[in-house]
Amino acid sequence: MKNLRLPKSPKVLLGLGIVGFFILMTVIGPWLAPFNPSATNFAANLTPSAHHWLGTTSLGQDIFSQLLVGARATMVVALVAGLVATVLSVTVGVAAGYLGGFSDDGLSLLSNVFLAIPGLPLLIVIDSYLPVSSRSNSFVIGLIISLTGWAWGARVLRAQTMSLRNRDFVEAARIIGEKRHRIMFSEIAPNLLPVLASSFLFTVLYSIGAYVTLAYIGLTSTAVWNWGTMLYWAQANNAPLSNEWYWFVPPGICIALVGTGLALVNFGIDEFINPRLRAAGLTARQRRTLGLPRRVRLGFTPVIRPVRTPRVSTAPAKLVGQ
Amino acid sequence: MRIIVRRLSLYALTAWVAITVNFLLPRLMPGNPVQTMIGKLTGQVTAAEMNAIRLSFGLGFKQGLVGQYFTYLTQLFHGNFGVSITLGAPVGAILRESVPWTVGLIGVSTIVSFAVGTFAGALLGWTRGSRLDALIPTATFFQAIPYFFLGTVMLLVFASNLHWFPVLGAYSQSVTPGWNWAFVGNVIRYGELPVISIVLSSVAGWMLGMRNMMITMVGEDFVLMAVAKGLPRRKVIMHAARNAVLPSIANLSLAIGLVVSGALLVELVFNYPGVGDLLLQAVLNEDYPLIQGIFLVITLTVLCANLIADVVYLALDPRTRTEAAV
Amino acid sequence: MSADTFDIQAVSDPLENHDSEVVAANERSEFVLEVTNFSVDYGVGDNMVRAVNDVTLHLRSSKVLGIAGESGSGKSTLVYAMTRLLRAPGVISGGDVILNVANPDDEKLSTAVNLVTASEKELRKVRWSHVSIVLQSALSALNPVLRVGREFDEVLKTHRPEMSKVQRRARAAELLAMVGLNEDRLIRFPHELSGGQRQRIMIALALALDPDLVIMDEPTTALDVVTQREIISELHHLRSRFGFAMIFITHDLSLLVELADEIVVMYAGEIVERAGARELYEAPRHPYTLGLLNSFPPLHGPRRELTGIPGSPPDLSDLPKGCNFYLRCPFAMARCEREAPALTSIENADRSVACWLHSPDSSAPVPVELSRSANSARNAAASEKGRS
Repeated sequence: MKNLRLPKSPKVLLGLGIVGFFILMTVIGPWLAPFNPSATNFAANLTPSAHHWLGTTSLGQDIFSQLLVGARATMVVALVAGLVATVLSVTVGVAAGYLGGFSDDGLSLLSNVFLAIPGLPLLIVIDSYLPVSSRSNSFVIGLIISLTGWAWGARVLRAQTMSLRNRDFVEAARIIGEKRHRIMFSEIAPNLLPVLASSFLFTVLYSIGAYVTLAYIGLTSTAVWNWGTMLYWAQANNAPLSNEWYWFVPPGICIALVGTGLALVNFGIDEFINPRLRAAGLTARQRRTLGLPRRVRLGFTPVIRPVRTPRVSTAPAKLVGQ
Repeated sequence: MRIIVRRLSLYALTAWVAITVNFLLPRLMPGNPVQTMIGKLTGQVTAAEMNAIRLSFGLGFKQGLVGQYFTYLTQLFHGNFGVSITLGAPVGAILRESVPWTVGLIGVSTIVSFAVGTFAGALLGWTRGSRLDALIPTATFFQAIPYFFLGTVMLLVFASNLHWFPVLGAYSQSVTPGWNWAFVGNVIRYGELPVISIVLSSVAGWMLGMRNMMITMVGEDFVLMAVAKGLPRRKVIMHAARNAVLPSIANLSLAIGLVVSGALLVELVFNYPGVGDLLLQAVLNEDYPLIQGIFLVITLTVLCANLIADVVYLALDPRTRTEAAV
Repeated sequence: MSADTFDIQAVSDPLENHDSEVVAANERSEFVLEVTNFSVDYGVGDNMVRAVNDVTLHLRSSKVLGIAGESGSGKSTLVYAMTRLLRAPGVISGGDVILNVANPDDEKLSTAVNLVTASEKELRKVRWSHVSIVLQSALSALNPVLRVGREFDEVLKTHRPEMSKVQRRARAAELLAMVGLNEDRLIRFPHELSGGQRQRIMIALALALDPDLVIMDEPTTALDVVTQREIISELHHLRSRFGFAMIFITHDLSLLVELADEIVVMYAGEIVERAGARELYEAPRHPYTLGLLNSFPPLHGPRRELTGIPGSPPDLSDLPKGCNFYLRCPFAMARCEREAPALTSIENADRSVACWLHSPDSSAPVPVELSRSANSARNAAASEKGRS
């Protein structure tokens, strides 16, 4: 618990940087947008220029503004879905792992069933029955996505809880006579934090993908700007085949970048959870100066021969003539 | 074998849940979409078709919800998925046309992606710390690109601009479908780019998972012993990889669902005549019987794939076999 | 490079000098393993910790060397590094490890390999055919998804390519019979066997290629006492039959006395005492050896009070300036705090100890516990028993 700092590898820093950038975009993007993303008062199909950084759509809308405004809806839905799904995972996973017995059997079965049903088709079925008014509501969409995305986290958390459950400090709390829910939430939950964080990031990643996909096939309101609806309009107007890359490439790259950022941060958490994944603490320069190979082959311990400086005390001269 | 029986009952239960969800959704949703749809259709279809549609939703009889449910189950059991509203044909027949394409495309892609990813992951895990590590952020990036977006870019770059691959569809108009070499070769040719797209999108997941497991395995004593025995490097790697691949196979059930979800959209991008394309059409036209039929078929197919993965896992890990025998 | 290190070593430590003369005087092949001034670090640079410091060891063919010490004393690090099997961030930071590989058919084919400078190819050739290793946990040392027979088959196939499948199979069965197991165990998976069976299989596997040296890293620690006894007596028997040399690592000194010809005791990465097994057991000279002996009940012989060693092993990254054992030593003197004692010969050529108590210019009398002769030790123990 004390050492919850992420390993400071370049990978993790890069990930944090990317995620930070897009969070900033979520917050201030709509204010920065130079134009109203829905306004159709420009010439259609303009290529990128100083005035329209990413050109205009075939309806004459400013694509750069759409990108900036769309960040918010995309991220908010992903966050809502991520949060709700994590709450579900924790409730089901920790309860199953901690309670054991029939509760565990029942809850595990529930999460296994949800794992086995392919998420996106289910999502499409649910969403297609939604009244159009709810499809434009970010929170409703987020909730539905979370319904299909919580099971994996629950499974991982259950396993971790079960291993924590039998450790000494939990045993001690039980012996002292602490209440069950207290043990669960104040003793076990904090130690689940790394696994929890990892499963949260994973769910957010999944949610972005799911939301963008729904929007892309036109199952969310096409009037709400997000990166998926941008791709929907681009596809609907044949932007890919008319080589209007500036229309459909930027939202795709943004989605991929957010995902990459989250995954890179997740690497850090993985290394935190599984110490074997941590690299040996040597910088490249240290390795080079010592003449060590870039990587150590298993079973061929490297040999360095520094200038020998025997410890003075190891061989005092007076002992020699014994 | 007890484990197989246990898994089978899980899948049976999952199938039942999927069917029940399918039944309940249209009835519980606000605004009762089924009634809306039937109202919309009145006058557009023949009386016989309307009757079939009502029947597939269990509305043919004046029944309570429970009664409707059993009617629905009976219909399903007889392979009656209802009639597509837009295509006017039985959903079962439509699916028989498109399911083989999807199973072929996604099946091949998944096997290729798993094989390539596992091999690359084993290599990355073994050579951890080498220059190959630079592949990791790249792979992560590919993993984060939505399948359909990568498919679109691939289509644009390699098919419509470079003309390395045919553009759309599953086979050329110039060949006649059938079991002849010209047709099979043509199908393979047309399948290349979709397969490559799906593999590129999904390979990183296998690769990174395998890499992590491989690193964990290299820390195990038996791998060190393989080195101590003076075995050639290839065999040492095999000792580790043989064990590292087990969690990947165990996780297939989750991954197959994700890959199928993504790959369905790739079909859409490439106009591939599978269920993905069909699903989109159905969604756009609010063809509920078709949507439901597709969802059920996808779920059942994924469950079958899971079962295969389970059998493979059992074959590869002797420890579970013993457990099952006890 | 070994030339300069050798020079420094000749000056710095009289003992090495003495031993290398022995090497020169006798047949080279008398020693199967010669470790000189061997040091091992974990990590490099600022975070470096020296886990093994300047260790010199010689092991005669067909003899058993015991290495004893608490966990963290560097005993396992030493043998893994010797065989180049130590994992990252372990680094060998000095010294040589010469393995003399005897060829019974042709004396001229006998070769010496320096494991520290050997290439990967050379190491691969030497491994298992000349040096094999048995780990503490056979369950983790055997590949969980392979049948036991495959492990034998693989080793024989790699190192004896001329053998046919049938011959390999016969050899595996023969090896299992040697350790008292039926050949039907070959088609078992590791998890289907008991702990004792698994360890026997590891031992059989270690002997598969008639190695010159077998390293045993606490092979019996994970087993119950009865199985432990059986395995030790089996090892006794196997060694007298096949004549391989053995390095046996354990923290249980009384176990070593049964098996070893010579014992070295390690503390904080250094050898603190080296002696014949009986001598060391009956007449320890280092206070740490005494402490270790008092921590375990003897397998045989009179019972005695178990006292253990107060305190805990030192932090290797922050060793005291003087003797490493100073803080835990019941006989510590002022000098021990300031200067570290070197490993120095006492009494006879085969005995040495790193302790100021035995220094000739030490003014303090040697405590009675550390000055028994081998015979008087026996008497003292007997009388102690009489008293209690």
